[in-house]
Amino acid sequence: MVSAFRCRSLSKTQAGYTVTELIVSTAIFSSISLGLLMGFTSLERNYVATSDFSLNHADEMRISDYMAMDLRRAIAVQSAKNDTTIFIPAYYDQTGTPQTPALDGQGGVFYGASGSSVRIHYYLMAGTIYRQQDSAPAQPLAVNVQDFVFDVTDAGKVVTTRITFNPTFNSGGASAAATTATAFYNTTLLRNSRTDIQSSVY
Amino acid sequence: MLRQDSTKTGSVLVWTILVIAMLSLIAVETLRLVTVKYQNALQTSTWQEALLAAESGIDLAIVELRKSLYPQPNHAWEPPWGNPPGNEITSHDLTTVPNAGLNGVPMTIETSVDAPAQLIDPTNSWQYYRIRTVGTIPITGPARTSDNPQDTKLRRLSLRWERFTNGILTPHLLTAPQVSRRVEAVVRPVSAFDQAIMSVGVVDLTNQNIVVDSYDSTDPTKSTNGLYDPAKRQENGDIATDGQLIEAGNAQIYGDVATNAGTVSGAANITGIERTDFYQQPIPVGAPSWSTWNSSPSLVTGTTTINADATKGSAASRYTLSSISLSGNKTLTVAGNPNGSQTYIEIYVTGDISVSGTGQIVVQPGVTATIYFAGNVDISGNGVLNSNNQPSDLMLYGIQPPTDTSEHVSIGGNSQITASVYAPGHDVTVNGGGTNGHVYGSVVGKTVTMTGVSNLHYDERLGATGMVNNYKIVSWFEDNR
Repeated sequence: MVSAFRCRSLSKTQAGYTVTELIVSTAIFSSISLGLLMGFTSLERNYVATSDFSLNHADEMRISDYMAMDLRRAIAVQSAKNDTTIFIPAYYDQTGTPQTPALDGQGGVFYGASGSSVRIHYYLMAGTIYRQQDSAPAQPLAVNVQDFVFDVTDAGKVVTTRITFNPTFNSGGASAAATTATAFYNTTLLRNSRTDIQSSVY
Repeated sequence: MLRQDSTKTGSVLVWTILVIAMLSLIAVETLRLVTVKYQNALQTSTWQEALLAAESGIDLAIVELRKSLYPQPNHAWEPPWGNPPGNEITSHDLTTVPNAGLNGVPMTIETSVDAPAQLIDPTNSWQYYRIRTVGTIPITGPARTSDNPQDTKLRRLSLRWERFTNGILTPHLLTAPQVSRRVEAVVRPVSAFDQAIMSVGVVDLTNQNIVVDSYDSTDPTKSTNGLYDPAKRQENGDIATDGQLIEAGNAQIYGDVATNAGTVSGAANITGIERTDFYQQPIPVGAPSWSTWNSSPSLVTGTTTINADATKGSAASRYTLSSISLSGNKTLTVAGNPNGSQTYIEIYVTGDISVSGTGQIVVQPGVTATIYFAGNVDISGNGVLNSNNQPSDLMLYGIQPPTDTSEHVSIGGNSQITASVYAPGHDVTVNGGGTNGHVYGSVVGKTVTMTGVSNLHYDERLGATGMVNNYKIVSWFEDNR
């Protein structure tokens, strides 16, 4: 009796849970797991979007700084959307050594041959923004930037660059407002007199 | 019971560890990303600040150049600068300034100024100066390159090696990371007569009958036979004040007007633009420090002739007079060569100049005359005849009067005068007493007042002649090798 009772009692303990208990516990486990999965997926997506935003922002900053550097020393500018050409003095000779300036007879100076300049071309092509100096190979400034737009507004003595991209926080694509919010502005004072329009030195 | 509890606790523990591990991984990756971007942003801002340091070097050099224009002792190019810059002589300065914007790290400004022979303007012998500066700032944080090689190529941070040694593109090892930016600028001299009218204080053009315009005596499209032609009028009759007020009086101004954060009243007939960003302290004129000059005459009160000389700056071309006082039909003739060839004369008047009635100072053809005066100037009628009809051939410089002393220059009457007046310590008045008052030239004064019917025609050629009053940047280039 005692032994039989013990056996029955033990098997009851081993059976442990009822079907109802199992269903409830599985449901709770599934809910928690689903919640965790969704949470992690969301975190991961957010991380990717943030990382992407951060990389794009660094790209914006780099492109802007490159253009500002050239604009500061520019003597002429031809601006268009995603395609801007800046002309700077021919400061270096063919070996890359700085040249001594000469007077132009009009109160200014020039480097190299009179009327010469170096052409720097910024353009977006096949998802890459390039900087090309004269006929040298184009140098990629930022890759995978097919959604980038750089606009250059030429106001004569100052030139403003505006760069935007499409952030990836929304799976349905970036809204116009979200794209506008990524705008990176840089207003640059042109230090030299321009040769293409009437302007003064700063 | 114990075994059951232990099993359940273990399961929870595994889950907890798993979740913490995943969260930690995310946190570590986020931290890594943020740290890289933070470092990148910090390096970028340091790079930007380095440009400010380099451009400050240009300002420091221009300050020395301007100082050198003042009468002696002007303390220009004193240590830590080296010798005054010249051809083959480079003046060098090294300045260290704490940079409050970057946690007080010291920014170093290295400036070199030289005067290459090919930067001398052959038309007026003015020397242009080349200024080369290097702005250097230490990079705080680790010597780590950016995650994008294009950033490195653009900013050229010196993490282990500095690319330049003593200005030459030869690298040397660094003890700490830094960023340097290099700028080369060329500055040109600016004439004291860069404007039609310039004043330290108020410019007062009292009525709408006054005309200020310009012409260029060197350009046949802007003048006729080198003279003013109303049909070729130019609109560079600019007026500027280092003060706050221009009373334009609805005068006809063919040019721009500029104040030092001031206002312009009666601006109805100004063809150019109005600016409020003008700032320029006129350089005071010191008394000439000649060692030799003509001892006679020492005073002019009657009809007198003095001779110019073919050699500029020679003792024979210099006169010191205590005063010039001409009235009635008395004449001071400044004689040149009979053939009208180029001659020069400098006259230092330690007292007043007064020409009235039919008295006259006559500058003969070919003579370029410079008159320094320490007292007052009163010229009425046709008191000055500049036979060359070029304002660059008769320049009057007012020596800076002692502080709290009031002195004046008055050019008046129904007359015509071709001259340039630079007297930043004098109150200058142009009185158009009749209907034909014309001044061809430029006027600089402590205050400038024009009255009656007076016309000022600014010769743009004056912008490249006369005393140097300032330096202006004409070329700027960042060397980003």
